[in-house]
Order: sequence, then C-alpha cells, then structure tokens
Amino acid sequence: MSEQITMRIDGQVCTAKEGQTIIEVAQANGRYIPSLCHMPGLSADGCCRLCLVEVTGLNRLLPACTTPVRNGMSVVTDSERLNQNRLMALELLFSERNHICAVCVSNGHCELQGLAQQLGLTHIHFTYNYPKLPVDVSHPRFVLDHNRCILCARCVRVCDEVEGAHVWDIAGRGINSMLVSDLQRPWGESQSCTSCGKCVQVCPTGALVEKGHAVEEMTKRNAVVTQLAIKRGTHP
Amino acid sequence: MTRIRDLSTFNAVRTTGLGKLRPHHVRIAVGMGTCGTGNGAEAVYSAFADAIFQRGLDATLVSTGCFGFCAEEPLVNLYSPGQPLVILHRVRSEQVNQILDGLLEKNIPEALALCKIEQWDHITAQIDYGAGYPMVPLWNEVPFFQNQKKIVLRNCGIINPDDIEEYIAVGGYQSLYKVLIDRMPELVLEQLKASKLRGRGGAGFSTGMKLEFLFKSNAAQKYLICNADEGDPGAYMNRNEIEGDPHSLLEGMAIGGYITGATKGIIYVRAEYPLAVNRLNKAIAQAREYGLLGQDILGRGFDFDIELVEGAGAFVCGEETALIASLEGRAGRPRPRPPFPAEKGLWGCPTDINNVETWYNLAPIVARGPAWFTETGSTTSAGTKVISLVGKVRNTGLVEMPLGTPLSQYVYDAGGGAADGHSIKAVQTGGPSGGCIPHDLFDTPVDYESLAKLGSIMGSGGMVVMDDDNCMVDVARYFVEFTRSESCGKCTPCRVGLDKALRTLTRITKGEGREEDLVELEELGRMIRDTSLCGLGQSAPNPVLTALRHFRHEFEDHIRAKRCHAGVCLELALSPCENSCPLHMNIPRFLQLYKEGRLADAFESVIMDNPLPASTGRVCQHPCDNRCRRQGIDESVNMREVHRVIADAVLLSDQFEEAVGRVLAKKRKATGKKVAVVGAGPTGLTAAFYLALLGHEVMVFEAHADAGGMLRYALPEYRLPNSVLDREIEIIRRLGVKFTFNTAIGEDITLNDLGSQYNAVFLSIGTWKESQLYLPGNELAGVFVALPFLEAEAKAEPMQLGNHVVVIGGGNAAIDCARTVVRRGSAATVIYRRDRGDMPAIPEEVDAAEKEGVRFRFLATPHRIIGERGGVKAIEVTKTRLGEFDTSGRRRPVATGEVQVVSCTNVILAVGEDVDRDFYRSAGLTITESGMLQVDRYSLESSRENFYAGGDLITGASNVSNAMSYGKDAARNIDARLTGDSHFDGLIPTFQYDQTAPAEPSKSPRHHAHDLPVAIRAKSFEEATTALKPEEAFEEACRCLRCDIRDSAHFAVSHR
Repeated sequence: MSEQITMRIDGQVCTAKEGQTIIEVAQANGRYIPSLCHMPGLSADGCCRLCLVEVTGLNRLLPACTTPVRNGMSVVTDSERLNQNRLMALELLFSERNHICAVCVSNGHCELQGLAQQLGLTHIHFTYNYPKLPVDVSHPRFVLDHNRCILCARCVRVCDEVEGAHVWDIAGRGINSMLVSDLQRPWGESQSCTSCGKCVQVCPTGALVEKGHAVEEMTKRNAVVTQLAIKRGTHP
Repeated sequence: MTRIRDLSTFNAVRTTGLGKLRPHHVRIAVGMGTCGTGNGAEAVYSAFADAIFQRGLDATLVSTGCFGFCAEEPLVNLYSPGQPLVILHRVRSEQVNQILDGLLEKNIPEALALCKIEQWDHITAQIDYGAGYPMVPLWNEVPFFQNQKKIVLRNCGIINPDDIEEYIAVGGYQSLYKVLIDRMPELVLEQLKASKLRGRGGAGFSTGMKLEFLFKSNAAQKYLICNADEGDPGAYMNRNEIEGDPHSLLEGMAIGGYITGATKGIIYVRAEYPLAVNRLNKAIAQAREYGLLGQDILGRGFDFDIELVEGAGAFVCGEETALIASLEGRAGRPRPRPPFPAEKGLWGCPTDINNVETWYNLAPIVARGPAWFTETGSTTSAGTKVISLVGKVRNTGLVEMPLGTPLSQYVYDAGGGAADGHSIKAVQTGGPSGGCIPHDLFDTPVDYESLAKLGSIMGSGGMVVMDDDNCMVDVARYFVEFTRSESCGKCTPCRVGLDKALRTLTRITKGEGREEDLVELEELGRMIRDTSLCGLGQSAPNPVLTALRHFRHEFEDHIRAKRCHAGVCLELALSPCENSCPLHMNIPRFLQLYKEGRLADAFESVIMDNPLPASTGRVCQHPCDNRCRRQGIDESVNMREVHRVIADAVLLSDQFEEAVGRVLAKKRKATGKKVAVVGAGPTGLTAAFYLALLGHEVMVFEAHADAGGMLRYALPEYRLPNSVLDREIEIIRRLGVKFTFNTAIGEDITLNDLGSQYNAVFLSIGTWKESQLYLPGNELAGVFVALPFLEAEAKAEPMQLGNHVVVIGGGNAAIDCARTVVRRGSAATVIYRRDRGDMPAIPEEVDAAEKEGVRFRFLATPHRIIGERGGVKAIEVTKTRLGEFDTSGRRRPVATGEVQVVSCTNVILAVGEDVDRDFYRSAGLTITESGMLQVDRYSLESSRENFYAGGDLITGASNVSNAMSYGKDAARNIDARLTGDSHFDGLIPTFQYDQTAPAEPSKSPRHHAHDLPVAIRAKSFEEATTALKPEEAFEEACRCLRCDIRDSAHFAVSHR
C-alpha cells in the first residue's frame, strides 16, 4: 500500500500518497500551478515547462507534473523567478505560430489565452515568426488548425491512452515539429481515427475544433475525458 | 581457435598474440583510422603491400588505429626485432621503397621519423622493444605528446584492432578474467568508487555509484548501454578509441555486466562512423568465438552478450532517455527524469548508460587498482581525459592528459599555438553545449568543476581553438544554429527559445542588432538553461552566455559600430581588405579606378578615405596583406604600394592643384563651430582634415615647430621624405586648418583655456614619453633614447655616435634607429629579447636593415651598460630562452643566466613609448588601469565633456593607420555632437565603375617595391624604397579579385 507522506506547498502543510506528483497534490490541496500540457487522466509529458516549481534545497527547477512528492519536501509554486520564466514561455508560445485571438473560434475559452490573462502578460517582446501553416479541414466533423497548435501533445496522449487509436503523433523536430495524423495523411483520410472527438475536447487552444463554430463559439469539455479515463482505469 | 576456458588456453593465446606484435621479422603497421585514411593511408598501405610482395620480404603488414597525432597522418609504425618501435609521420606512398631500403640496413629515414618507442606501458602489460636510433626522439619528447598520459588510448595506434590476439597479448581481458575468478562484484564496485572515476560523457557522475544502483536492483533483467552517439562538432575521440581498440570497450562492458548482474549490453553507435561500426562488429564476433562474450564466459559460468545498434544521427539521442526511446524504436525524444534509467530504463528495466571512454577506464582500474588511478588527475577528478584538439592550432589531434591540466598546455604545448601571424583568442570546450573560454583564462585547469565555473562544460571532450579570424558572435550563432536544428522540439524553451535566439544572433551578424538585444539574449539564455527538459536545451545557451560574458565588446562592435573585426560577418564588410584597414579604405574601388586609368578619381577615392595617402603608402603596417583572398592563389595584392603610386602621381606632379580643387569642392558650408586639435601628428591631422571639410573652424596646437608628429620627427628621411609629407599637410592647410606651433599643452596653454575657447577639443598628442628601462649605466654619455635620437636626426642636429651602436628593442623605432646609425657610418647591432618572428617591426623593414648590414642578436636581454671614462664601453646581455606562452600569444623570454658582453660605443634604447600620465591626471581626465587616457570605446569622448581623444594616447604606441583611424572616428563623432546631425558619410564620394569580378584570375606574381641597391642606400638618407612603376601598379590593380562584388540577389549591401 502506498504510504502517507507530509509535505509543504507554499508553506501550507499537505498530506499526500507516495507516487503522487507535485501538481496532483497541489490540486488536491487547492493550490493552482499553471500548466498547458498536463491533464488529469493522461500521462505526464512535461513539455510545456509552465508548471516548473522550486523545491527547497535544489537550485534546479522541477516540473510539477512529473516530479513525485517525497516526505518532507517543501515546494514553492509562485515566485518572481518562476513568474518570469512562465511569462517568457508564454511569450515564446504566442510568437511561435499565429495566435490571433480576435478571429479564433476558441477566443474566450482558450487555455493559452486564459493563462496569459491570469499571469498578466501584456506584451510580446519577441519578434513574431508568422509561419505559413496549413489548416486541415479534410475531416467531416473536425478541423486541425496548425496555426493555433502549441504542441502540448494532449491529443496524442488521449488518442493513444484513452481511445487506443494513436492517430496523432508529432513529426519533424525542433521548430519544424508538426502534429500529424496517421503517417502524415490528411485527417479525413485517416484509417485509424474513430472520429470520437476526444482530441478536440482536450486541446487547450483552437488548434483542434469542431466544424460549424464561429469566433468565440468553441467550448471544450475536457473534464469528461478525465472522468472517462479514471473510469476506465487508464489513469496512470 | 577454440574457446578460452582456462588459464593455459588464455596464456597460449597471449603468446600467439605477442608473436604477432613482436614477430621475428619486420612488422609495418599503418595508422588507418578515419583520420589516417582521410590523409591517404590506404595508398600507403597498398604501396607497402605491393613492395613487400615484389621484394618477397619476410614482413608483416597490419593496419592499426590512430596514434593521436592526426595532423601528422598517415603515421606508420616500423618494428624490427630488438629495435625501438619507430613512428613515421606524413608518409606518402612514393616513399615506401625508400623506407624499406633503409629498414633492411637498419636505417631509419630521419626526416620521416616522428619519434620512437623503446618501452610501452599498455597499463595491463608492458612491452619492451629495445633501445636504439639515438637520433630519433622518444615519443614523449615530442612536444605534442610530452605531457600526455595514455590510459584510455593505451593500445590505440599500436595494436591491430581487428585481431583479438594482439589485444590479449597486451593484457587484454585479463581484468575480466580476474573479476570472474575473484567473484566479488561488491569489491570491484568499491574499487571503482575509490578510483573516483567519473562519467566521461560530460556530466561527471561517479561511475562506481551509478553501477552500484544497478547492482542493488533486484530486477530479473538489467541492461548496460554504451553511448557512442558522439555528435559534437569537432569531437571525435570516441570514434578513434573504437577504431583503434574496440576490445577495450567490450572488456569494460563485460566487467560492468558481471559486477551489476546485467546480462545484456548494447552499444549505441553513430551510423556515420562506418569504420568504428565495422571494427566493433568484427571485435564482437571474435570475442564470442574466443568465449569472451556470450554463454559461460571464460568457463566461469557468466553470461553476457553485446549487441550493436546504429543510431540514426540525431544529436539529441546522446541524451540517455532519448537514446533509450530510440533503442525502443520510438522517436528520439527525451522524457523527464525521474524515473531515472537506473530504475526504469530500456524496456522498463534498470539500465546503466555510460560513455565510451568511461568503459575504457574499467579494465585499467581493475588491473592496477584505485590508488594507481587516483595518482593521475586532480583531487576531485581522477584519471585522464581524451580531448580532441582541433581548430586554429598547428597540431591537431587526440590529446590525453591528466584531468586538471591547464588549458594552456593543450593549446600551446600540445597544440603548438597559433599559425603564423595570428593569435589565439579563445577555446570552445564541450561543443555546442559548452562555452568559450577567453585567452586570459587559459590557466584554468581542465576538470569538471573549473570549466563549469566559467560557464562551460567538459562535455565529451571537444576542444575547438579559435584565433583572431573567428568572430565570437558568429561562433555563438553557429552553435545555436546547430542546437536549434538538433532540438527535438518537445519542450517550449528549447524549441522556440533557441529559434528566437538564432534569429536575434543572425540579425546581429547582419548589422541589424539593437542595443537591447544583448540583455534579451541573456534573459532568454538563462530561461532556456533553467527550464528546458533535457541536457540539450539546458546547455544549449552556454555558447551564447559565455560569449556574452567574455566577448561582449565583439557583440557591441557589431551592434554599435557595425563592425566585425574578424571579417567573418560578410554583411558588415565590403571586402576582407577594407575590413582589416583601420581607416576602412575602399581598396577595391581605388584599385579598379586606377585600372580604368582614372587617376584623378582614384586619388579622390584614396584621399577622402585617408588624408595622408602618400605617407601611409610608405609606412603603413598593411594589415590588408594578411587578409587578401588572393593569397589562396599566389600572394596578396600589394595594395599599399598602389595607393602610394596613386598618391605620388598626384601630390608630386602638376595634377596637385586640380586634386586640391576637387577636395575643396567637398567642403561644407561653415558651421561657426570651433574645434581645437591638440597634436599635429597623423591622428590630429586626420581629425583636422575631416573637421575642416565638415565646415568647422579648426585650430591645431603643436609643441614642435612643424606638423607631422612622429611622421616628421620619428620616421627617418630615407623612409618618408619630408617633401611628401609637406604636400599632404598643404592640402589640410588649404582646407582652412590653422596651426599654432611651438605651443605645448599644459605649459603654454591649459586644457581649461581650450575648454572655454572651443566648442570641442580633440586630444591626439600621442606617446612621446619614453618607457623607462631601468638599466644600470643608463646615465652614461652615449646612451640615447630612440625618439630624441630620431628627432635630433630629423632636425638635422644629429647626436655624436661612435663606431658601434647597440639598439635595444624590436619595434619599428628600433629598426629606424639601426638603419639611421648605418647611414651615419657606424655599425649597428639590434638586441631583442624574443625571437625574430616575434618582432613587432614590419618584416620588410627588418629584412632591409639586415641587408644594409645591421646585425641582430635575438634572445638576449640587456643586463647592464659598462662605462669607461663616462662613456659607453660595452653592454652586458643575458641570453634568454623561450618559455611559456604569455597573454600576447608569444613565448615569454626566460633568462638563462648566461651573460655575454658586447663591446660598443653607444646604446640606443628603443623599448617603447608611453603616455604622459601625470599631466592628464592633473588635468582632471581619467586614466585607465593600463595607464591610457580613458575614453568611450565608440564616441571617443573622455571623462570630460566635449573633450575627445584618440590615437596612441588611448591605445598606447601603435602604428600610423591605426592612430589615424581615431582621428577619422573622432571627426565623425565631434561633428555629430556639434551639429546634431550626421554629415560625415556625405563626404565620401561615389563613383561609377566596373562591377564585374575577374572570371579567371590572371596568374601573375606580386610586384614588390624597389629597394635602392644596398651599397647606395646604406650610405645615404635618400628614400630607400622607390615606388612601383605605373605599369607594375596597373598589373597589381588587375590582380585584385574584387571581393567587394557580391551576388546582388544574396547581398543587398548599402555601404558606407
């Protein structure tokens, strides 16, 4: 049986079970840690780097979504240093592709946008890349807009771990990484896609959306996926 | 061959192997690592094979790996019974017959012999070859090998890597045998921990502890992995280790397998290393055949096998979790740790990953014990590290030295320092994950902690040496370009952050940098370092952060002055010659105009870039020569002499008036601003010329009775006739510049006076105060200082000389004094403490002096001057030898204690000039630590507002064109300050001229200026070097390759 351990998050004493990650304990104790790639019910990927926290006694920052808690651990989730890094990571994401909220179907319901508002991001200091990226509308019900994708890989994981179809993966590397369906086929021609729509529901931005929505109209229900994952026992 | 199952079969194999290594006949081993074959070793090998066959010689021919000295490849080992092993270098196939002829007569071709080995310590065994060949140096007497200690490379280049018996002959697999017989894995782990062996992949974690984690795991299946996915640019030690000695790796892993309980080893090797892959495959097959891998190893009931996997070439797969992902058939992307591979690695099983070199250290530690191992290296880092030394050093190759050896020993002692005419600026350690370490920190010991303190890392051991031809901004950009393209793209900071950093750095190299870029780069770099998922991202900003820390001025030069002094950033330079010219003369333009026969235009082009074209045409240090791309074909274009011809043809002819008219026509309307220039030397004259053209009222104050400064008073008439200088000054006068002579600042007029009477003051009084050389006997009559001596000569009030004058120093002033002495009919000897190549004087001047009869005594430093009746009788000098390299990149002269007496009648001290510090301090101007007047690097403004300074005053004694460049920059800045606008660029004329580069460069040698016959010139003060003839100058202009012409589609250059 997993053991009960005690730790501190931002000074607050929390009890946790061994094997839990920092972000899980924080959420259970009402402490919010910003994150874009983490989602309860899916395996942790640790790629967005927004959930980095300070652990007392360590100079290195650790990702809250993958670091298991230890007895006596003291975690700081909010500091000047963390905030600077988080703001800069958001700036990098915003300037990497074309995030134009005013014309986005997810405007107002976007996790990236929400986080920027919450952390008080007002300016992007970096020059925008403005890449020319395609929009895949080949699927009868859904749209993949690469311009809005932040490569959080939630869709990849939900499709693989919950639906079991593994339609999505990330091809290429570095700045040229792209979400692909099957072996780089248009989504609509995918042999493995079951059209279940889980990927759309977990996507934090307007990259994966349902057709037929105008600006601001696309809302996501990712909690449903989490519940499903827990029910099926796919929760890691 | 049967399997080895017991000691007797083991020893039998060993004896057979020794018979191959030291046969009863000649054995020839050709170094055929990748570096050897790249240098033609295959042809040498087949030439030996043919020759041996044709002659029917009783000889063995084998191929080995690389012995480490890659610059000297192909290397060939010659063995004949009872004689030392001789290593020949740079062997060509046509020399093979000569070598064999000599060998039969026990003669070694001395010119080809690099070194000999009388006894070799294979660590696991000693091999004696015998003594002999007294004329050939021992291997560790060769500077490249001198400080090396070969533990990892113990067998490389000596044994045949394709023959397991030779490996066993030098003690191979004995450590494995010992471990299997002892049956005490815990003891071996303790030994490894005690040996302080640390991971050689760069992170430096204790190898013993890492293996212990695996040992303690109860899992049924454990894996060992060797990371041979070496991918740093410029690093190739793992490749050579495997190519030269693959069995050491297998033995190390088998030992690791036994002590941890792992039964399976995997070598993940770069697919781009075909030879290493090939040799490893052979080695694994042989080891299985001999019962050293597979089931029941050495009959001791231990099972362990090794599989080879070729990596697909992603740099990130050097990261352990990415490597495991790649082995499992997934995309090579790292995952967060924990869990660490020691808990959950390959296929979810406990796994230990080590670098190639770490495994190589296992057998020696088992054989000789931890105490022996810790004898080598520093307290925290034991043992040696193989470094691949590449870049701008004379000797490149693999250098294995104890950890903790200072960087300077790598660069200077093993590397042999910079190529001629260059100086080393920095070393990049650890490849794209490491950082640049500047020259003044070369005493840093190479170990994990010291390098980390400087923001660099040990990494896998790449060391790239950079010299003054390397632009540090471009180096930083290059490495970020590499890591950006090798980033897997998983985490945000590495994927997007490196892309942003590359965009910013690229902008800076194109001259589009902004002031805030540097701070932004630092912030971004820190964020990428602190928040990236894996080691690639965490270390990728190191090259940028260290370059910003140690070479910030280079970034600022790119951003503020739009200059790349190394001449690498193409967008910031017109051509290599223009970039190297302190005055940034448009050299290709005046060459082309002269070629087109447009003398007046050519002159205008020259004089508007350089107000003293005839003087500099004679005495400039011509840095352009060293950069000219024509050197790649034959010799550099003689640019200095062509502009001398252009200047003389106008200044000294009836075209003078017309030319003056063209210059005067450029003068802007009066601004009503008054500028005082203090000092009428080349710097002051240059500033006055441009300030007057810009419409300011200029008054030049000068302590001497005439203008020209050092050009008039320090340069002898035979180098620069006053008549030439007078014509140049005439133009400056005609522009309206006024002179006040015989007025010394501080004595006749104060800086406060100037400050109140003028809108701006430019100080350019140079370095007229002699550096003090405290020499007993200084006070004797007949001891002179160079500048007053030359000045007296210039004023035609020469000092009395006896029949033999000793000049002390190695600069241009020393040579000028010596040549003047010869012309006065006395004998001259120059005494210089360093060697000839280290002299700061222009080499042509040194040669000319020697031809005129000046004698040179190098490597001697004055000790005291011996007097007699108040005059000079002799000078005592101490012989010096060349010691360590100093910060100037030259070897420091060290006194040997051997004293020699040179009898003489006079001594001239030409040991440099200095700034008069006391005066400036009293005038309220700040002096730098090095004793120079402090000014802003770009604006040239001093600590006092509206007081600018330039020339030798802020740099220390330098040369004419360098000094003039400050006058030019000061004029630009003063004008901008006084008018609030920028007019300077408007002065530079534009011309229409041919813009086609020569398709087929003509083959024609460089024309040199003509020296008067020695017999005549040594007796006269007539100009010693006459100009090129017009047709020669024309041909010289035609030799220009026109580097200024770029493909307009790629280079949209608008140039100053």
